[in-house]
Order: sequence, then structure tokens, then C-alpha cells
Amino acid sequence: MSFHEIQITVNGVHERVSVKSNQTLMLLLRETLALTGTKNGCSAGECGACTVLLNGEAVNSCMVLAAECDGAEVITVEGLAGDPLQDAIIRHGGVQCGFCTPGVLISARALLNRNPNPNDEEIKEALVGNLCRCTGYVRIIEAVKEAARLQV
Amino acid sequence: MTLTVGQSLIRVDAEAKVKGKAVYPGDIEMPDMAYMKILFANRPHAIIQRIDVSRAEQLPGVLAVFTAKDVPNNEYGLISPDQPVLCGPGSNKAHADHVRFIGDQVALVVAESEAIAVQAISLIDVDYADLPVVSDPREAMKVQSPRLFPDRDSNVFGHYRIRKGSIENGFKNADVIVEGYYQTPVQEHAYLQPEAGVSYLDEEDRITVVVAGQWVHEDQEQIAHALGLPLEKIRVIYPAIGGAFGGREDMSVQIVLALATYRLSQKGIRRPIKIVWSREESIIGHHKRHAYYIHTRWGASRDGKITAAEVELIADGGAYMYTSTKVLGNATLMCTGPYEIPNVNVDSYAVYTNNIPGGAFRGFGGPQGAFAAELQMDKLAEALDMDPVEIRERNILREGSLLSVGTPLPKGVSMDKVLEACALKAGWVRGARGWQRPVVNQPEQANKKRGIGFACAFKNVGFSFGAPENCWATIELRGKEEIDQAILYHAGAEVGQGAHTAFIQMAAEALGLPFEKIVLVASDTAYTRNSGSVSASRMTFMAGNSIRGAAAQALEKWKNEERPAVATYQYLPPRTTPYDPETGKSEPNFSYGYVAEAVEVEVDVETGQLQVINVICADDVGKAVNPQQVQGQIEGAVVQAAGYGILENFLQKDGLSLTKTLSTYLIPTVLDVPTRVESVILEYPDPIGPFGARGMGEMPYLPFVPALVSAVHNASGCWFDQFPLIPERVLEGLSS
Repeated sequence: MSFHEIQITVNGVHERVSVKSNQTLMLLLRETLALTGTKNGCSAGECGACTVLLNGEAVNSCMVLAAECDGAEVITVEGLAGDPLQDAIIRHGGVQCGFCTPGVLISARALLNRNPNPNDEEIKEALVGNLCRCTGYVRIIEAVKEAARLQV
Repeated sequence: MTLTVGQSLIRVDAEAKVKGKAVYPGDIEMPDMAYMKILFANRPHAIIQRIDVSRAEQLPGVLAVFTAKDVPNNEYGLISPDQPVLCGPGSNKAHADHVRFIGDQVALVVAESEAIAVQAISLIDVDYADLPVVSDPREAMKVQSPRLFPDRDSNVFGHYRIRKGSIENGFKNADVIVEGYYQTPVQEHAYLQPEAGVSYLDEEDRITVVVAGQWVHEDQEQIAHALGLPLEKIRVIYPAIGGAFGGREDMSVQIVLALATYRLSQKGIRRPIKIVWSREESIIGHHKRHAYYIHTRWGASRDGKITAAEVELIADGGAYMYTSTKVLGNATLMCTGPYEIPNVNVDSYAVYTNNIPGGAFRGFGGPQGAFAAELQMDKLAEALDMDPVEIRERNILREGSLLSVGTPLPKGVSMDKVLEACALKAGWVRGARGWQRPVVNQPEQANKKRGIGFACAFKNVGFSFGAPENCWATIELRGKEEIDQAILYHAGAEVGQGAHTAFIQMAAEALGLPFEKIVLVASDTAYTRNSGSVSASRMTFMAGNSIRGAAAQALEKWKNEERPAVATYQYLPPRTTPYDPETGKSEPNFSYGYVAEAVEVEVDVETGQLQVINVICADDVGKAVNPQQVQGQIEGAVVQAAGYGILENFLQKDGLSLTKTLSTYLIPTVLDVPTRVESVILEYPDPIGPFGARGMGEMPYLPFVPALVSAVHNASGCWFDQFPLIPERVLEGLSS
């Protein structure tokens, strides 16, 4: 197994880390950097619980090799402190078990960054990769709409 | 008048969850931790003749390998201890060398890293002698079928009978008779958090397991039983839990974690051990909603009164009992619907097969029973040229009505009011000929047909049929003149449903204190007494009554100047009784919730695709302790039921699972949800519910699928007696 030295900025903090060739960004975040807010639901890019912002794009961090992230900027749920999305999803009751919540918040943040005033269809399209088994999504959509209103 | 109860207060766990700070089992890291992996059998039926772990043990970084011979008392199970902890020869149980489904666990490796453990698993050599696979419960019931348990005389492990009135007279008095064969599918819980946990020896040397479950004290008992240790040597703690829905009621990693900690400590190794299941391991490793095979015949007179209902239910129990007999009990009661029927025969069976075990899943037998009952009602309505709501109302259970089991429901029956509320909201009108279904506006495209369907159901709250039922709470009041703080100790699990927030609201209400002054210590066997499980829609009801009792006693002690004032209270609900073996006569439950649902659907007759347009779900919750969370339960249950009805197609063949990942097991995404879900929350108080509350987490789930199928029939003229209504099945139905 070979190792790669990479530099990566996570939630604004510059890190210099050694990663294995087969190590995913998700495992780098969860295991090496102890940022366990990013969840592992399937390790196969199917559930969206591990979604993070990679250079501004929402990606499944389980499907990205850490070694590819040299020089990248990553935002995880821990880096969303103070985001109006957090308050909105709480007040609208969009959190139940909470395991999908970090990924949902990240996908919604990516959407609002590129489209500050999305309609329902655009919100659904942005969240289609984030499975939630508890809420039925209704309240999550409402929360994203409200966060969009608040940030304008 | 309540102050805190009835408010949509913010969940106490929400902030940690949105900040990524909530700790789930897989997030726990401790110093010097070791990692465990499990060798699963991955074959459905075999005898293990030999296990050789020597190559695995020699791999550098492996701390230990455990097999059946290392399990002190190699059995467990919630209803009956029929499952080996580890399958293989050499343990204290004669038949533990028997593998009965693909998810049976064979060996454990504990190593310095997960990667080493994975590698070591592949170095374990197991000799299996395969046995014939039994995969259809209808075949498994036959005397000539191979048996899963050689010491039993049949694969049938549960059977209930109901005999009410005279079925012959009932059919003699019928003007129309409708017969149906229904099949309901397996469903996978697909909670987002796969099974995981950590075990270690705590400061009092207790074997401590931190895990996601539904009942800390049951986990503790199951571990103690298998390890042959006293209860007080075992401690179970729940951190944040990523969904459950019944799927965490049975054991997954609990016993094996404790076993590894126990055996390693005997070798002088006292390191924390962690295990995390992959999604594939989760899918084969825990039970599923039972597949049911239902044959039923109902008769009704010309005026729409049901005269007879005869039902045979066969449940695929899979390889082990889990909670199958309890699930079967519920299905047996609910397969004749929320209707008063004078003549009823039910025979129900739970059967062992080599499939993944069936077990608890939201609704617990209710959805299967409701599917058959509600479609029978619709077909009778059609045969009588009567409106589906009208025929339901003419037979609905009311205060004093006798159930199929010959006894009345507990007081507070609101089924008629719930039916009416839902029907009115969905556009039904009451005319001279009774209720009339609204005419649905049809889309312009010729390939799209819309229809509307209706169904109702009742759901028990609490353990049924004589199962011991109780719930403890402890409250400690601190302060001098004024109460500064109240500490509530409660074992009840927060699996995402909002239980802990509801506990605090009910404690604040009962104590007359602000919400902020209540501190909850929860779900740790070291500090809390038995609450029973979060299941059977029971926790709000049971916890609320235990909290009220503890609060009243603590306030009394406070008045008598005890500081701190501490009271522990056990709530005992009215007793229930088991089915009489011959007639089924029983007092099955002490409380119910009542629900009715209308579903509007659009069928694409060219592609077979369904789009649910509108769902109206009316639920009598007694009292909504937190209305926003109640609404969240309704919406979540409706969407989960929509997955069951339309998308989720769990395939097993010859005991092997063809569905192993979330890319083939499709649960609803945000694009698959109904265009609109309208919750109608009704509050007819339960006379014995805390603040009037009934349980409600399951009931919105029950009527959805029959209402959906009814809507598809209304749109297309086709009946579907099996689901999920995947496009292939819909197209096949439409073309025949």
C-alpha cells in the first residue's frame, strides 16, 4: 500500500496529511481528522449521508479518493456553524433520527450557493441523492425554502 | 388545559444533530480501541462440520478469533432462544452447528484494525454440509417438508384460532361473497445508520455495550443470558440512534460485542472493541417485515352488513422466531379490520423457512392484516354497488362493539369520527344514498388516469395478549425553597421519533415546571429502570403515565420537605389476556389509535408508473404532545408506506438475498414522495392515556397500501392483490 502526502483545507483549517491510495475522503474526515459529523450509511454512493462540499460542489465523500484531494477545500457539516439552514431545519421539524441531516444540509448549502432562490423542483433535484427514512422529506423542503428566504 | 404538552417545542436533540455533534454508535472512538468483524454463513441451510481458525489467528495484528465453543450459553431470542449466537460445533447447545439463514454468524475476529479483521475473516476455513433449502412457508408447513429444527415436529411454530358466531350461518345469510388471495412482500427497514457499537469494561468492571437498540433492558437480558452472567455485570447504553422502525428490536451486534469483551478480559486484554456493519451486512444481518400469504372469504347482506369473514394467514417467519408470534397475534386481530362482524373464523400460522427472519417493523402485522381486510371491504362494496366509505361506516367498530375475539374495545372508540373526518376532507359527500366518492378530475393526457381510494385501520397501543406490560420512571427534584431542577431518569429509547422531547414535555407539565428545568438521563441500564421497548406505539403512552406517577409522588415528597425529593414509579396498565386456544376469546389490548386515509393516485397506463397526488391521513392521537412531531410521524409513515406499496422490492431466491444494496432496494427519495400529504390530527382523549394521549407512530402506516390499491382500481378498473406496485406488475395487471 502506498501513501500520499496531501494538503487539504477542511472547514478553513489547513491540514497536511498522509493518506493511503485506497483511502476515501470520507474515511480521511471521519477517522484521520475525527470529523464524525459526516456519516457513513453505505460506502457506495447510494445514500448521501457522507455528502460534503468539495471545492464548492456537493459530493459523496465515500466515492472520492483522499489522494485526489490534494489542494482541495472541503466543508463538512461541522463547517456550517451558523448557517441559517441549521436553524430552519430545526424549526420546521426536519430532523428526526438525524443521520441523514448532515448530508442534507450540505446538499442544500450547495444548492443555495449556486441558486439563492430555488423553487420546489430545484430543491428536490438538489436533495435527490440524500435518502431520509424518517421524515418523508416534507419538512426538509420547507426548511430549505425558508433558509433561502432568510439569506436573501 | 395543558401548558407544555400540546406545544410544538424544539426537539432537545436537534441542535447536536444539525451541527454534526450527535454521537451515533459508529462515531465513538476510544483510546487503544480494537476492531471486530463477523464471519457470516452466507448460505441458507447447512451443518457446520468443522471450523479452522488457525490461519486467521496467526495473522499479525489479530488479537483473538471466537467461535461457537467460546459462547457460554449459545442461544438467544426475544420470544424463544432458538438462535445460536455463533453457529458451529462444540458449544453447550446441541443444534448450534446448524446454519438456518444467510445472516447466521459463525465467527468473530478482533484485531488491531478493521482491515486486519477483514483479512483474517477470509482466512477462516469452514466445512459446511449443505441441507435442502425451504423457502416457501406454504411448502414448509407440509409434513413432508425438511425441518429447520430437527427436534420440533413441524416448521409451524405459531398458530392462533378465532371462532366467533357461526361461519356457516354467516355465509348462509350473505347476499354476496367475495374471496381473495393476497400476498404482502418483505420489507427492509433501511434505517440510515447501519448497525454498530462499542464495548468495554466500565469503572465498575461491568461489560458495557454502547449500541443502537429499542430496549436497553432487553438487550441487557439477552446478553446476560448468552454469557451466563448476572444482569448487573452487563450495562447497555444508547447514544444517538439513526432510525429503528422495529429493525433494532432483536439483537445484531449486542451479544457478540459483549462476548468479545468478556473473553478478551479473561485473557487479560482490557481494550474497547468497536464494530460497524456495512450496508450489505445490515441487509442480511437483521430481520425484515414478514411476507404474508392470506386467503380470505367475506360475505355481506344487500344492506352492506358483513355477515361472515373467514381468513387464513400464513406468515413467513424465516429462520428464527424473533417476534413472529406477537406479530402474528396482531395480524390475526387486524385481518378482519376495524369492523364488527358477527361470524368470524381465523386460522393463522407462523412458519420457519430458510429466509431472513421476519420480525418487528412499524405496524407489526397490522399492515398485512389491513391490506386483506380493506381490499375485501372494497370488493364487497363493488359487488353491492355501494360506496366504499358507506360500507365501512355501516360496519365500523363503535363504543361497545364486540371485536372478533368476543370482547369490546376499551372505552374511547373514535373510529367512526375518524372515518368521517377523513372522508369529508377527501371530498366525499353524504347524500340521500349515503356517502359518495368524489369525482376525480382526469388529466388531459390520454395515458394518465387518476383515481381515489379510502381505507381505515386501528392500531393497538402497548404490548398485547397478556404480555407483561409496565414502565418505570424516576424523578428527582433539586433545590431549596423553589425547585431549581428536575432530573428525569427514563430508559425509553430515542430512535428519531422524538420520544425524549415528549418525555420532557410531559414531565414539565406534570411538575408544573418550565421545559428548561427538566434534565433527562436516558437509556442507560446503570441509571434507569425498565421502560419496555420503543415499539407497539407504546412509549408516549407508557412513559407519560410513568412520568405522571413519579411526578405526583416527587411533588408530595417535596411538600414534605425532602431534599432532594426522589420518587420512582411503575405504571401498570390494565391487564390484557392471551387468545383462548380454541376460540381466540381474549382482551387483547388496553388502548388503540384510530386512523383513516384517502389516497389519490395517477396511473400512467403506458409505463405502469404511479404518482401519488394527494394523501389525507386522519389520526386520532388522543392528545398531540408535540403537534409538529406528530405531523412528522404521519408524513414519515405515509412515505415509508408508499415505499412498501410502490417501490421496495426485496427479492430472495432459495434462501439467498438478491437484494443487497440501496441501489437495488429502492426506498423513496425526495422525488418519490406524494405531491401533497395532509395530516388531520384529531384529539379524542384516551380515558387512560397521559393527558389523553394515544400512541400514534405506527397507525398512519396501516391504511396507506390498501387505500393506494383502491385508488389504482378506481383509476384503472384493475385490482392488485399483491404489491409493491412496480411498473412491471401494474402493466401486467392492466393488460390482463
